[in-house]
This record gives sequence, structure tokens and C-alpha cells, in this order.
Amino acid sequence: MPWFLHLALRQLFPPGKRFPAFATVSILGVALGVATLLVVQTVMNGFGEAHRKRIRESFGDCQVVAARPLARPDELARPDELVAELRRAPEVASATAYAEGPALARHGDFSGVAAVRGIDPLDPAQPARKYIHGGTFDDLDDGRVILGLGLAQQLRVRVGDKVELWSPAMAERAEKGKAPLPAEFEVCAILRTGFTEVDNAAALIPLRRFREIWNLGPRAHGVILRLKEPARAEEIAGRLNVGHPDLVFRPWQAIKRNFLEAIRFEKTMLFFLMFIITLVASFSIGSTLFSAVIRRSREVGVLAALGAGRGAILALFGLQGLLIGALGTGLGFLLTGGILHFRDAILGAINAVFGDGDMVASVYQFANIPLHYDPADFVAAGVFTLLVTTLAGFVPALWAAGRKPSEAMRDA
Amino acid sequence: MPEIVLQATGLAKAFAAPAGLLPVLTAVSLEVRAGESVSIRGSSGSGKTTLLQLLGGLDVPDAGEVRVACEGALVAPRRRLGRGVGFVFQNYQLMPELTALENVALAARIVGVPAAAATAAARELLGLVGLAARADHLPSRLSGGECQRVALARALVNRPAVLLADEPTGNLDERTAEEIMRLLLDVVAARGLALVLVTHSREFAERASRRLVLSGGVLSPA
Repeated sequence: MPWFLHLALRQLFPPGKRFPAFATVSILGVALGVATLLVVQTVMNGFGEAHRKRIRESFGDCQVVAARPLARPDELARPDELVAELRRAPEVASATAYAEGPALARHGDFSGVAAVRGIDPLDPAQPARKYIHGGTFDDLDDGRVILGLGLAQQLRVRVGDKVELWSPAMAERAEKGKAPLPAEFEVCAILRTGFTEVDNAAALIPLRRFREIWNLGPRAHGVILRLKEPARAEEIAGRLNVGHPDLVFRPWQAIKRNFLEAIRFEKTMLFFLMFIITLVASFSIGSTLFSAVIRRSREVGVLAALGAGRGAILALFGLQGLLIGALGTGLGFLLTGGILHFRDAILGAINAVFGDGDMVASVYQFANIPLHYDPADFVAAGVFTLLVTTLAGFVPALWAAGRKPSEAMRDA
Repeated sequence: MPEIVLQATGLAKAFAAPAGLLPVLTAVSLEVRAGESVSIRGSSGSGKTTLLQLLGGLDVPDAGEVRVACEGALVAPRRRLGRGVGFVFQNYQLMPELTALENVALAARIVGVPAAAATAAARELLGLVGLAARADHLPSRLSGGECQRVALARALVNRPAVLLADEPTGNLDERTAEEIMRLLLDVVAARGLALVLVTHSREFAERASRRLVLSGGVLSPA
């Protein structure tokens, strides 16, 4: 080990001291800066990823709807032919027609508004299959319904109970003088996606049954495509749209483009703010190292008298900045993991103290704080912190190395 | 006649002061031969420490030049810091985070001696100054006299031709000062080194083979 590295380590962690105050405070300062930066980035990535996932699972990788209103707005006249054609496209993993609409759901004295979606129960790619909380997806048939957890709780129903659905089409029957009988379904499964908006309203029934209740005939409201390469959805949607001027192919990126852009912008702004926090932490390290170098002025003179060159003195103090940065970054990574692991408990405690309620559920519609670890964020934070802390060490080191030994020894 | 190991010619040094330049050394010349000990006395502020720093290459004279013996040639000490000249300071100037052994070895490591050889040399020298048993102690756990012994060992570790000692007993009690001075002179004599000793003590100055006084920026025989 070079002598200056040995001495740098000893000056940072003096032997015989249980609590090397300077090193501990500096390393903690860097660690907190790094952790703050990474926690914010990882949670923001999580929000972005969760929203993208939600968009893809709700609307598919690509949503196909009518370009012009036909008999009724946004309906496809011959969805089955379209589905068959789209399934033949090499980029398409699956295609399934859907229809959706609001209905009144009732169970005894309890009622709620359901967002009913008619789906193909035989489609193996149905995203709902991944979120079944109780019961079985495959039991879904013309007499059964899958309810979101929140809606099921609102209606006080469990798997096996019966619910009634009243669609707007029943009002049309009443206008024609016919008795508006509700459609009765047995609950075969409970859906829990973690997205409050979905869980509090979703009611999934077979598309065939939806068409009956809503008097749709063979029509559907759209087709959901799952693509083999979802990331290329924009390019594939453009290609599939050729020859279908009466249809709109909306890739998932375009469905909520402004929203996704807002999340990306929010992440960039937060990175900028956290960057400033880390910069402030680094400046405080620089100032602490500066005072340490001044305090050691006479030692710098002695080292020069012993033959230490400018480069070695520069390395001695520069390395202390680098070591603080490296240890602080490592500790910051660990701290990030810890904070993110206990994120919901921490948020719960904050909510309990400030009485703000669960904003993650009420505002962002998530059951818990979403996460997405992006290695690039960790690399960027690590490199940036090491760079800044090393610079913070080198500036006072440059000052120390530039002095004459006689001056340095006179100062102390 | 022994070879010249330190040669200073026409050294002048002035410092900036509010009233203008303050001359400290005006025309100092000095030659020291191997095995010779030279004491320099003078009042406070007479420029003794400045002279030692110029002789050791820690500062640059405004005029004149200094040469010290290093690896068989007389060279400017500034180019060979840590090799041709060994320093002993009044306040020991040990690294507080390093043990006695590491402090001595550090001086050798700085000039490029491999770690194992530096440690071996440091251990031998600590034995020479009577501190073998305290090699692993930090300076904070050593007495003033012991610290100065470590500093002496450090000054010797790179086998310099000249030892420059700036008030080496200034911080010590009478008995310890006597011990250190005896050790310093014994080591210098045993190794055939040249010694330039700056001291306020007339008694210690008398023990040198040549005695000088620095006054008015000029060196003269005591």
C-alpha cells in the first residue's frame, strides 16, 4: 500500500478512537445525500413503471378503436374478423375484443357503481389472471362475474354470492314498456390489482354476456393487442394501421402520453433538486477537509521536509475525499435498500404523525409505494458523488501541496 | 581532512513586513565537514530557524546557494529533500496517527524504500535510541523525550550526511534535555555525521566542535 494511502486511512480513522468524528460525519453526510437521491429516483421510476404497467394492462400494448363513430360512438362493427386478422400479424402475441360500460351493482341492501368490462374468458393473456385474490379466473362464464376487491367489499359479497347488474340498456327496455330485469351473476373470483381505481370498480364478465346486457349485437368497443415487443408498440401500431383508415391503433405510449411525460419531467426535476442536496453535502465535506488540511498545515510541511512531493501530498488529501465518497456511496446504497424496504412503514409513520391520510392510495391509486430499481441511477449517483467528493478533497489538497514547507511549518 | 558535506555561500533572506522588506540573513556562508558538529546560537528572531530551513532546502534563499552531500555528490538540498539532510524539530513533528515505528518508517517510505526494508530500518533505529519496546505506541502515549528520540530515529533512517537540529531540547525538562543531547551527539559521532545544532543553551552549544553566533544576519564565531 502506498504510504500516502496508509496515512490517509490513518488520518480518517485514527487508531484508538472508537468514534472518528470527522470521518463518520462526512461519510454519513455523503450517504444521506446518495440515499435521498436514489430513494427519490427509485420511487419515481416505480411510479413511472407502475403507471406504464397499468396503462398496458388496462389498454393493452396497443388499443384498436373506430376512427369514426359508426352506429354508436367508438364501436367496431365486425370485431371478430378484425381480431382474426390481427392475430395473424407476426408482431402480435394476442388480440382480443372488449366492450366496457358503467352499471349499477347491487347485493341485497348494498349497491355500487361498477365499471363493467366484457372480456374473452378463454384468452390466456388476460392480465386479470395475474391478480386473482380469491376464487378462480377460469370459472368465469355467462353466469359469473369477477369483482374488484373494493367493489366486493362495498357490496359485502364473497366468492359464491350473487350480485345484480343494472346496465343503461335496461333503461331503454323500460322506455319501450318492457320490464327492466337485472342481470344476475355469481361472484366467481375477486380481483386485486393494487390500483385502487381498478379494484374499487372493476367487474369482469364474458364479452358475449356484455353484448346481451348492453344490446351490442356482434359489435365491440375495441380490440386489445398484446405485442411480442411492447417497447416497439409505437412503430408496430403505425405498421398495423396501414390499410385500416377506419381504425385508430393507439400504442400504449400514446394513450397517456402527457401523463407519462409529466412523470418523466417530475423525475428529472427531482433529480436536479437531489443533485443540489448532494452538492451541498459535498461542499460541506470540502469545507471540513479544508479546515482539516489547515489544521494539519505543519504536518504538510513536515511531509515535504521528509521528501514528499506535491503529487503525494495531493494524493494524501485527495484520497481522503475519495475514500469518504466511496464509503459514503456504499453506505448510501445500503441505506437506500433499507429505506425502500421499509418504505410503506415509513410512509405510514409519516401519515400518522402529520395526519395526511394515505395519499399513495387516494391520489396515486396504488396499494403501496411502487419501486423500480434502475442500475443506471445507481451508477450515475455513485460516479457523480465520487467525482464531487474527490474534487472536494483535491481543492484543499492543491492548496496544501502548493505551499513551501517552511511556510506550512510556520503556520500551525 | 574529511569531505565537505554542507556548503552554503552568500545566503541572504528577507521577509515582507508592513514597513517593507525585513532582512533576516544578509551574507551567510558556512562549510561543514563530515563528523563535525556546529552549534549556532542567537537571540529570538535572529534567523536561526530560517537559516536551518535554507540549509535543509525547505526554503529558497533570495541570494546565495546551498549544497549538501548526497549519494557521492554535492547537490541542492531542495532537489533531494529527505535524503541528504535529516531534520530534528523542537516540537518533534511526529504524525499523531502513526505509531513510533510507522513514523520512522514513513520517512523511508516517502523516499521510495520498500515497506519491509523501511520497517526493518525503523525498528533497528528505534532500538538504537532505546525505544524498541515502545515501537507500537502512538506519540500521544509517549513522553516528550521519547517523542524526540523517535524524531531522531526518523531523521537518521535515510542515512543523511547532515543532521539539522532546531532547538531539539527546547520543549524538554533539564534531565531529559541532557539525555537527548547526549544521545544526539553520540549518534552523530558514531555514524560520522555532520551536525548543525541551533540552540539557546550555552551549555549544549559548548559541546559542539565549532560554535557560531547568528546576529544581524551574519554568522560569526562565538
